[in-house]
Amino acid sequence: MVRMVGKKKSLIRLGSILLITALMASGCGSSPSPTKTEEKPVKVGIIDTYTGGAAVYASDSLDGFKLAVKESADKGGPKIEFVTRDDEFKPDKSTSWAKELVMREQVDFLAGTTNSAGSLAVSQYAKESKVPFIVWGGMSDKITGEAGHRYVFSTLPNTAIIGKAGASQLSKTSYQKVWLAGSDYEYGHSVINNLWSNLTTLKPGVEKMGETWWRVGETDFTPYINAIRSAKPDVLVVGTGGADMVAFMKAVKATGLNQEIPVWAHTSYDPATLRPLGDQAPEGVLGTNPYLFNYPDTAENKAFVDAFKKEYNREPAAFALYGYMGGKFLGEAIKKAGSTDKEKIIDAMEGLTIDTPVGKATLRKEDHQVAIPMSYGVVAKVNGIFTGNDLHTLNSEEIMPSIDAILKARSK
Amino acid sequence: MSTNNLKLIENPKGKFSNYLGLGLAITGILILLMAPTILTQYYVYLLATVFTTALLATSLNLVLGYGGLLHLHHGVFFGVGAYTVAIVTTKTSWPFAVAVMLAPLVAALIALVIGWFCVRLRGLYFGMLTLALGQLVWAIVYRWNALTNGDNGIHAIPVPEFLSSINSVYYTTLLILVISLVILYMITKSPFGLTLLATRDNPVRSESVGINVKRHRLTAFVIAGFFAGISGVLFVLVERSVAPSLLFWNESAEVLIMCLMGGLTVFMGPMLGAGILVLISMIVGLYTEYWLLVLGLLLLFLVLFLPQGILGYLMEIYNKSQTRRGEN
Amino acid sequence: MDFATLASQFFIGLSRGMIFFIVSAGLTLIFGVLRITNFAHGALYMIGAFIAYSVSTLFGQGPYGFWLALLVAPLVVMFVSLVIERGLLRFIYNRDHLIQMLLTYSLVLIAGDLVKIIWGTEYKSMDIPNVLRGSFNLWGASLPWYNAFLLIVGPVVALGLWLFLSKTHLGKICRATATDREMVDVLGINSTRVFATVFALGGWLAGLGGALIAPTTTISMGMDASIIIYAFLIVVIGGLGNIWGALISSIIMGVGEAFGILFIPGVAIIIPYIIAGVLLILRPSGLLKSAW
Repeated sequence: MVRMVGKKKSLIRLGSILLITALMASGCGSSPSPTKTEEKPVKVGIIDTYTGGAAVYASDSLDGFKLAVKESADKGGPKIEFVTRDDEFKPDKSTSWAKELVMREQVDFLAGTTNSAGSLAVSQYAKESKVPFIVWGGMSDKITGEAGHRYVFSTLPNTAIIGKAGASQLSKTSYQKVWLAGSDYEYGHSVINNLWSNLTTLKPGVEKMGETWWRVGETDFTPYINAIRSAKPDVLVVGTGGADMVAFMKAVKATGLNQEIPVWAHTSYDPATLRPLGDQAPEGVLGTNPYLFNYPDTAENKAFVDAFKKEYNREPAAFALYGYMGGKFLGEAIKKAGSTDKEKIIDAMEGLTIDTPVGKATLRKEDHQVAIPMSYGVVAKVNGIFTGNDLHTLNSEEIMPSIDAILKARSK
Repeated sequence: MSTNNLKLIENPKGKFSNYLGLGLAITGILILLMAPTILTQYYVYLLATVFTTALLATSLNLVLGYGGLLHLHHGVFFGVGAYTVAIVTTKTSWPFAVAVMLAPLVAALIALVIGWFCVRLRGLYFGMLTLALGQLVWAIVYRWNALTNGDNGIHAIPVPEFLSSINSVYYTTLLILVISLVILYMITKSPFGLTLLATRDNPVRSESVGINVKRHRLTAFVIAGFFAGISGVLFVLVERSVAPSLLFWNESAEVLIMCLMGGLTVFMGPMLGAGILVLISMIVGLYTEYWLLVLGLLLLFLVLFLPQGILGYLMEIYNKSQTRRGEN
Repeated sequence: MDFATLASQFFIGLSRGMIFFIVSAGLTLIFGVLRITNFAHGALYMIGAFIAYSVSTLFGQGPYGFWLALLVAPLVVMFVSLVIERGLLRFIYNRDHLIQMLLTYSLVLIAGDLVKIIWGTEYKSMDIPNVLRGSFNLWGASLPWYNAFLLIVGPVVALGLWLFLSKTHLGKICRATATDREMVDVLGINSTRVFATVFALGGWLAGLGGALIAPTTTISMGMDASIIIYAFLIVVIGGLGNIWGALISSIIMGVGEAFGILFIPGVAIIIPYIIAGVLLILRPSGLLKSAW
């Protein structure tokens, strides 16, 4: 270790003074306010995770959003500008970027972020600074639930919706003895809690045999699967996502679990899950899924898929839809409000219904949560390719959380 | 551990340079006091975050630079301090002042527990244990949903009315930073501080002269934890939300980098490192998502070419010029 | 809890321990001989997994692809490690531990973004070769073939390491360097060649670990972070620099976690820290003597 040397404050202070001067200089050169008399474009500041394991979702959302912005501009609609910031999946960075975007970039809207804690933190700041925040990545039900408010919107189905949809699907089966499992983080627990509370209401006979929680980023699921198998439940219900989902599905196939015990997992037949698995996908796994590029087979969906493919050379995944809806809701709301005033746009967004690739979507007035249908089905090999099969659609009314419960939770 | 060959400064100018230093320090503080009237709100907020981080980095240096200990997970105490404020204000009805006073004490307590296990080891082993035990604290915070809200974090932390504006938070953090720095500085210059240096440079000899090396190290560890807890409080004042990611190892690594960048051997080094790192991360983040790559390259450069840090390097130049002048 | 479950869980835990061992053996080797904490070890493991994926995909994810990947990936990682050692590490051998650690940490940051640039952000998956697919019946419970495969690879690697270190000339020099570097220099042996060899070998082991785990999991960024914590805990528990210690603690960690999952599945995430904490409180300097 180096020996300590004495202090020479002059040099240090000189450095600090230079630092401050530099800051002052850059501070004085803040972004110019628009002087044109024509309508200024609405500026959106996007905070999302472009680094690390969750980055694939952020880039999907961004691409979907960009497509919506482009479509809006092409149709002669409102112009939307945007800038992006990477929060590295750290909520403290989400908040500091949010502050930079609002105070320095002077954005009109905030959007993002895949990290639920980050979404909650930014949502809080959005409320205080009165800058509307469109969440298209964070799935915590608290975002539009108990922590919701006027300045936050969500354009993706949250864990309450997922849980209710899963419960709906499982209630139609004959399984009684349930084993719950998942990745040990808020998302996993929230999906399972919501699913279980809804399932016990829909099907009072169900019995919880046990719970297993593995760490996020677990690589080998064999010990967990082996332990669960020995308990012999009627069905294994799993709350997991992201990289864990693919690894888990792989392990299910490798251990042959799906042939012994039925398994349910949200997004089990999503292309993002099945594609990396190749021909090692476990057949028979039940699941719910918010979006598929080939279902429903409607004109709107086809148009969206074609446009997305043309722009980005790949099929759109669920997060691309959420980003796209975020952009489309914003564009339509600006048009409806006939102004770029934030408050007027918020008013226009409440209760707004637009056409989307999955049909009509509405931003509920009371909680600002998007209401879209959800499909459920099972993984099967069709024409040599693994895909979702035996698909049914759940209407949004069947799966949206109760408004009364939310308003009650908020008032506490 | 190897020692670099830097001469200890003897200060021939004596009182004059001390007064010069003091005068410039006061000028610096006055300029900072005026900042909210000159800068836009965002930069005031940014400076407040710099102050918070500067305190954290300086507290680490008590153990790292002055104590010569490989402390790899200092961020844990910062996180514990922040969480204490968050939990007390949102889950109890105790007044805010209690939360603020409790935070550094809880942080110091955790530091005492972790430090007690670690100071019995030396060098690399000390480092590994701080890492392991720190991660254990992270795992507990992450998993203890009932207390900490798990990985959702705690948000909308209520603060008293007078702390609700950016300017008031700025002045508060500046005030607490200056007071803490003065206290820390006096500690480094006190007999305890000088003994700590001795335990760093030659622990065997210190032991043989009758100094309880373990006790000194543990005390330094706890003091550092205490001030890290304070910086955790400042963090809550500025950001008003906490999440378990604050206690993960990569946050502590960034604090280490700050100390290295500014200079482990100079009291003000970590402060400068904190300021530079916060600024650079913000500027780079405006233009690219590859901030971590930039940080990695920056760190590589520092490690290979400037391990004594910026201020350490300036000190070397100054010393060389002094000795030359002394020879004439 | 019947015998079949306990037995199969034991073997599964053991096979996990084998992966832990392969990765932490490299780490502890580098500790022992070079006295460097290689934070980049997890990044090398991750690169091994990605390269295994790429090689396997190049061959259509078929059986040849897997075995070729298993051969090529560790070699590539070994080469990368050699470049790192010759190009960067050797300049800081005489420096502080802190400097050395931060250098390896800088590589973690750089590697993370480089992997993102080269391979992109989408999740990748690699197939298990046909011959190792499925599971077989073990006293009424089923054990996947791949886990059985790992149970063979692990001891083979351990045996190979032991042979290298105790029977070959270079291996003996490595051990001597770990015990007394100066003496080795005084005897006129080129210690720089030793360092390069050891670091390359450590990298090879990390790459092998990554290639072995790749078919069982999702290959994505963040893989390095999840393994490095385990590896460090295991190395610290086992005794810094002690390969047998790494083997024992890997087995304890793997089997311990597997049984923990059987009995307290709700809080499985804490198990490694509990194991580490208990062992460290009992024997703070490691189970076996450090630096063999």
